[in-house]
Amino acid sequence: MTPVSSNPNHWSRIRETGTAGGVRTMVWIRRKLGRLPFQIMLALVIVYYYIAHGLHRRASHTYLTRLWRHLHGEAPQHLTWLSLRHFRSFGQSLMDKIDAWSGIPPALSFEGDTREQFRQAVMSGRGGIMFVSHVGNMEICTAMSDMQDDFRATLLMHTRNASQFDEVLARSTHRENPPEIIEVSEITPSTAMKLGQRIAEGGFVVIAADRVPISDSGRARTLPFLGHPARFPEGPFWLASLLRCPVYTIGCFREATSYRIDFDHFDDTSDLSRRDRSAWIDSAMQRYVDWLTRQCEKTPLQWFNFFPFWLDCADAHADADTHHDAYRHDDPEDERSIS
Amino acid sequence: MATTALEHELKEMIIETLELEDVTPDDIDPEEPLFVEGLGLDSIDALELGLALQKRYGITLESEAESSRQHFANLKSLASLVESRRQK
Repeated sequence: MTPVSSNPNHWSRIRETGTAGGVRTMVWIRRKLGRLPFQIMLALVIVYYYIAHGLHRRASHTYLTRLWRHLHGEAPQHLTWLSLRHFRSFGQSLMDKIDAWSGIPPALSFEGDTREQFRQAVMSGRGGIMFVSHVGNMEICTAMSDMQDDFRATLLMHTRNASQFDEVLARSTHRENPPEIIEVSEITPSTAMKLGQRIAEGGFVVIAADRVPISDSGRARTLPFLGHPARFPEGPFWLASLLRCPVYTIGCFREATSYRIDFDHFDDTSDLSRRDRSAWIDSAMQRYVDWLTRQCEKTPLQWFNFFPFWLDCADAHADADTHHDAYRHDDPEDERSIS
Repeated sequence: MATTALEHELKEMIIETLELEDVTPDDIDPEEPLFVEGLGLDSIDALELGLALQKRYGITLESEAESSRQHFANLKSLASLVESRRQK
């Protein structure tokens, strides 16, 4: 048995906003009535959530304040307005997910010459790992299998991560070749072997490396992000080092009417020796956090981690809010299993 | 009890994969637990061993429910896994 996080504000404990029925209703409105009625409905839902869900609202306020201090040296002037736009941008991403899973190909454009890089990565037949994040819309990446033949993606997801929404979507949509989703609560040899096989066949394993594992015993480490300490999972980096393959980063950001893909080579662990592994993980985690920071700088309102992301969130909320939630920071010292 | 050729092959693979410098094939008792006791391997070693098996013999396990703990218990169980599932 994997001990599930006892931290009440761990992302996996925060109930996915929106019930299955609500998601289905929205899918129906989108399908039958079209985009405009859907957007009006979405606006109402967003204002409701903003008012009703203090935890998400405070998480958004903390993030925006920290990003603005990082970018402009001061807190945003109209925080409420900005935060509503942040919520709206999340609602928009849900709508795009619905489209992507429905098999409606999103309009995509690649940044710079990344299209050629992406094509070469797929054509090389070597497969690899793609680090993604909850900035932008990683589901769109999987829709790329529709536009680049031979691109096969396997999404490695934590069990209970957004699963209600995704499950409902998967069941109520009509996509012919959905990407494979492997749900795990911890990475076992059998998961690793399956992923190893996918890569050997030239496939890509897509992993988000910005959420710590569900299990409190999972390996994670604290790194400064936007100037404050946050926990990042070691698991994705261990996997990357063990699977010995090319490693890439991929981001997918919404612009006015289309998605921009930012694909980049991150590293190659093919020749990484056991001895150098630990040092590689140190450096890779720091480089991932740097990359994540750049993603936020480029698209400030597409950060979709609506939970207390930092270890010192309680302090931030105490400053910003009148009511203070007691946050617990379980910080297991002896972390031996990875996930 | 005599060691089979496959068991010997696996012993060498374990030593090579995990770079166990001071261990010889004879040091590995086929019945002794590989993890925690015995060789004292940890969960990362287990992943690495799993990947080596996948690469060398083309083995994958069907599901999470199929306990890898059981297959990886000792060298004997590992050998019977390889014997029954090897693709190459």
